[in-house]
Amino acid sequence: MARHALRRVLLALAQLVLLAVLVFLLTSLLPGDAADVLFNDKAGTEQIARLRHEMGLDQPPAQRFLDWAKDLVTGDAGTSLTGGQSVSGIVAHSVGATALLAGVTAAIAVPVALVLGLVTGCRAGGRLDRTVTAVTLALSSVPDFVLSLALVAVFALKLGWLPSTWIGATTGDLLTRPGLLVLPVVVLLARTVSQLIRQFRAGTLGALNSGYARHARRLGVPRTRLLLRHVLPNAAVPGVQQLARTGDALLGGVLVVEAVFAVPGAATALIDAVRSRDVPTVQALTLLLAAAALFLNVAADLVSHRLSPRVEVLR
Amino acid sequence: MPEERTRRHVLGLAGGGCAAALLSGCDGSASAGTTRPRRGGTLRAAFPGAGAKETLDPHKQRQFVDIARHKAMFDKLVELGPTLRPVPRLARSWESSADSTVWRFRLRKAVFHDGHRLEPEDVLYSLHRILDPHAADHLAANSLSALDLGNCRAVGKDTVELRLKKPSAEFPSLLAVTGALIVRRGYRNPEKPVGTGAFRFASFQAGRSLSAHRFDDHWAGAPYLDELRILSAESEARNSAVQAGEIDYAHEMSPTFARLIEGNSRVALVSTPLSGVDGFALKTDRPPFDDPDAAMAAKLLVDRERLIEVVSGNRAQPGNDLYGKGYAYYPSHLPQREQDLAQARRLARRSGLLNRRLTFYTSTVVDGFVNAAHLFADMAGEAGLRVEVVSGPPETYNTDQLTTGDIGNHRCGAMPIPTYISERLLDGSPQNASAWKHPDFDEDFVHAQGIKKETARTRAYGALQRTIRDEGGLVLWGHPDWLNAVATSVHGVKPAPPNTDDWARFDAVWVD
Amino acid sequence: MSGHTAQPPPARPAARGSGGRAGTARKKGAGGAATTAVAAVLFAVPVVTALFGPLLAPLAEASGPGAPYALDGRHPLGTDGLGRDVLALLLRGGGSTLGSALGAVALAYLVGGAVGLAAAVSRHRWVDELLMRPVEVVLPIPSLLVISLVGVGRHGNAWAVTMAVALVNTPVAARLVRAAALRAAAGPVAEAMRMQGESRLRVQLGYVGGSVLPVVAADVGTRVTGAVFTVAAANFLGLGMEPTAPDWGVTIAASREALLVQPWSVCAPTAMLLMFTVGLNLLGDRLLDRRDRRPPGDRRDRRARVPVARKEGRT
Repeated sequence: MARHALRRVLLALAQLVLLAVLVFLLTSLLPGDAADVLFNDKAGTEQIARLRHEMGLDQPPAQRFLDWAKDLVTGDAGTSLTGGQSVSGIVAHSVGATALLAGVTAAIAVPVALVLGLVTGCRAGGRLDRTVTAVTLALSSVPDFVLSLALVAVFALKLGWLPSTWIGATTGDLLTRPGLLVLPVVVLLARTVSQLIRQFRAGTLGALNSGYARHARRLGVPRTRLLLRHVLPNAAVPGVQQLARTGDALLGGVLVVEAVFAVPGAATALIDAVRSRDVPTVQALTLLLAAAALFLNVAADLVSHRLSPRVEVLR
Repeated sequence: MPEERTRRHVLGLAGGGCAAALLSGCDGSASAGTTRPRRGGTLRAAFPGAGAKETLDPHKQRQFVDIARHKAMFDKLVELGPTLRPVPRLARSWESSADSTVWRFRLRKAVFHDGHRLEPEDVLYSLHRILDPHAADHLAANSLSALDLGNCRAVGKDTVELRLKKPSAEFPSLLAVTGALIVRRGYRNPEKPVGTGAFRFASFQAGRSLSAHRFDDHWAGAPYLDELRILSAESEARNSAVQAGEIDYAHEMSPTFARLIEGNSRVALVSTPLSGVDGFALKTDRPPFDDPDAAMAAKLLVDRERLIEVVSGNRAQPGNDLYGKGYAYYPSHLPQREQDLAQARRLARRSGLLNRRLTFYTSTVVDGFVNAAHLFADMAGEAGLRVEVVSGPPETYNTDQLTTGDIGNHRCGAMPIPTYISERLLDGSPQNASAWKHPDFDEDFVHAQGIKKETARTRAYGALQRTIRDEGGLVLWGHPDWLNAVATSVHGVKPAPPNTDDWARFDAVWVD
Repeated sequence: MSGHTAQPPPARPAARGSGGRAGTARKKGAGGAATTAVAAVLFAVPVVTALFGPLLAPLAEASGPGAPYALDGRHPLGTDGLGRDVLALLLRGGGSTLGSALGAVALAYLVGGAVGLAAAVSRHRWVDELLMRPVEVVLPIPSLLVISLVGVGRHGNAWAVTMAVALVNTPVAARLVRAAALRAAAGPVAEAMRMQGESRLRVQLGYVGGSVLPVVAADVGTRVTGAVFTVAAANFLGLGMEPTAPDWGVTIAASREALLVQPWSVCAPTAMLLMFTVGLNLLGDRLLDRRDRRPPGDRRDRRARVPVARKEGRT
């Protein structure tokens, strides 16, 4: 197990390095650079050329990448090309809100999906199963931005029960005004929960119909014990695997949610940085998000490994 | 010379009802003085955000949200009035030498937030800082490049003498350009802004918010508000937040939003007519629009009313292919240009426009650009032209446009007409989207700028504008209203075109 | 499919045979047919609209353009922000919406599926490594980043967005196909075929490839829904097509501000998207259920996890 974990972590590090190169290449291919974008419509070409020189953008790309990498190794993520702030500051200010949204969503989604998936899986075809399936299907079929707009129109503007945006809210406010979290989290939950329930339900069905479960039943193992000891761990495997992929979908949802609710988060910061060709910020945010995704993947692997050791045989 | 005008003076006028209506029309009830001014409270104003690009350094300001924030904390020497004429701010009055090369500005008795009095040295330090050759991102540097810095000096304790490399009767309005704010001498750390503005810096987070508190020693009297918060938010969020009462002021709203809040008792619209210009730019340095007949065909084929209906939601005044309707030096006597398809077809045939495939280079950089481009293509189709609409990346559109396509979108906010000409219509202009490059035109413009007598100067500018209208490559079809949304609990917000003195000024605003 | 009969038909588990279960199963059969019919209708409406709508659109456009966001009787569903007939947009917009999503998923499966299958059936471990390691590297790249880089870099290009969505889905498809193929290749059926002396090509392509198909079919529903949403969200965020393009997602995004001014401009294309995704997901679920209802022995070699099968083999 320990060796397996070590291998996975080393692989993840190698992936991060490759990713950094890949992202740098991709951002270099975008039309225009930070100097062009910063002075779009306001300055002449001569002034833009001076700015480009000041930003160091007239250096060859390979040189810029090496400089950036050298600084990163010493713990310096660089300076934003557009605002002049430190990149670590931008990241620190933007990641909190996104992490909070994703964390709260996951904290609700996983237990809810696990319970509902197990229950509906055990009683497949029953009334509860059909209701849950129908609701999750409907929820997962509404595009998240339509859901966001509809929820804001009803619960914030018509009824006035909940705040419609985070404009002006500070991180401190989030703790004192949990109402701010409700609508964004509901939107994020809609799809994640649906996906997870489907996986957990399928896992439960598979485990229940498996040979060992039948065998255990034949041997007279009590139902509860069978469910908790034998079915649950196996049922959780596809769900846990799905969790890692959900992280990615969650991030996409977060972007829409951040735009609609004016959440100053990492997804907005990333798009912003791409738009203004702020390469150091793009690099830092991407690596962080990718590291989070990798962490989820590795964690999911290790958890499924623990739950059902033979899964590894497949991989 | 313009007379001194303080905030109280303006307020006195506001007591008489809808003062702003006298200047530029008044749409909502928000600006009508229905209650007595009250001290205290917080105003939350939201502007389109710019993420990490937002800055505290007043000389690096670029976006509206920056400009509004810096306006609360700093002052310029000169601001622009409702007709884009220079009006006094930190400079209470000014005078120039006979040849308009030496200018003297008398300073107001203003105090910085750190308690120091404003002195000529602060002005000189600010100008040096703006023109610092190592700071390429100081926007005002371009406009102020005519300053002969080495020969500028303080005269006594309250006058500064500025010398120009070449004569300009328009110099005061150049001191009102974006990024020309006066900082305390020795200002180096942008994190600690010290200005003479009505609000003192409290906190800032790029992409999110600025908080500033009332400055009791402000030269025009303390503002009413205890706290001003200027927040960043995209249109979606501004829309819902202002309706939900989470913000009190939302900058830059759409005509659709205006329809949405009709009859809403909590939110009113403050609409500023003549806030700039919308149009198309034809490249006149190459075929086919190097032929004034071809350009005229394009000007005659557009249905200005339809463009205004669709792109501006009927909230605009028709344009006459001239910039700056309602501003100083605008030749208002010229007849309104109307659609004339028959004549357009004739001119198009004569200039060989019918046989060409034209490219309209557009982008989503501004709402409505793509719509306007498609409407133009349809209208051109009716006149027998073939126009293909091509869309480019918004981030670099304004620069790309200078070299791409035969036709492009054109939009310009409020600025003095001479500034517009020098930024857009001279050979070396940074944003010469219609590629208008005529040395004789440039010479005439330089000459006009040096004319000290205003009537003669106006006449000279008039002739230049007429040339553009008849031969140039600008199809300027509308002067849109600028729409801001204000909670009905907020009073004293005046309609003012962006970049003018009263725009985004919260010194005289109070809340219930 | 003939190989399946080689397996001894396992007895249906007694525990499942309780009266209540059988009852629900029967009820579900009847309800299932109704659901399938509903699903088919839901799915058909947008698909037929997308296929044949453009032919009818000129009829709807006959009344000419109107005022922006008008409900004036001349236009049955009113007009959009440009004064265009919403019904005509609806008729014209399906092709690009569904086409880009379906195209992206098809492409992802074509490329990812080939890689996954090749990796699974290869007899050399290094081939597997060579093919799957790059997949593992790109898997954690946040799809958000790919979409935003492509959206910003190739602005307004429908093809670019389709390719980006395909790119994001390719590694996932590769992994899914490889896992399913491995399961089949290691299963008893393939073993039996090999022992009977079937050609390697027939075992690998005929049987293994064939048994991957249902897994893919079950996955396609959610994946296409996801792709529809991703493309729509890209449009919503201004990263997708031109705001005037006749496309359901674009129309929703461009008209969203007018939700309460001219509801049809948003609701009509949203309804189309909803019908499509709900119909597709329902049909996908039907497919899963059909597989679930097959005799367990048939299911075991394809669906239940291999470790389970092995465990069973040992007991």
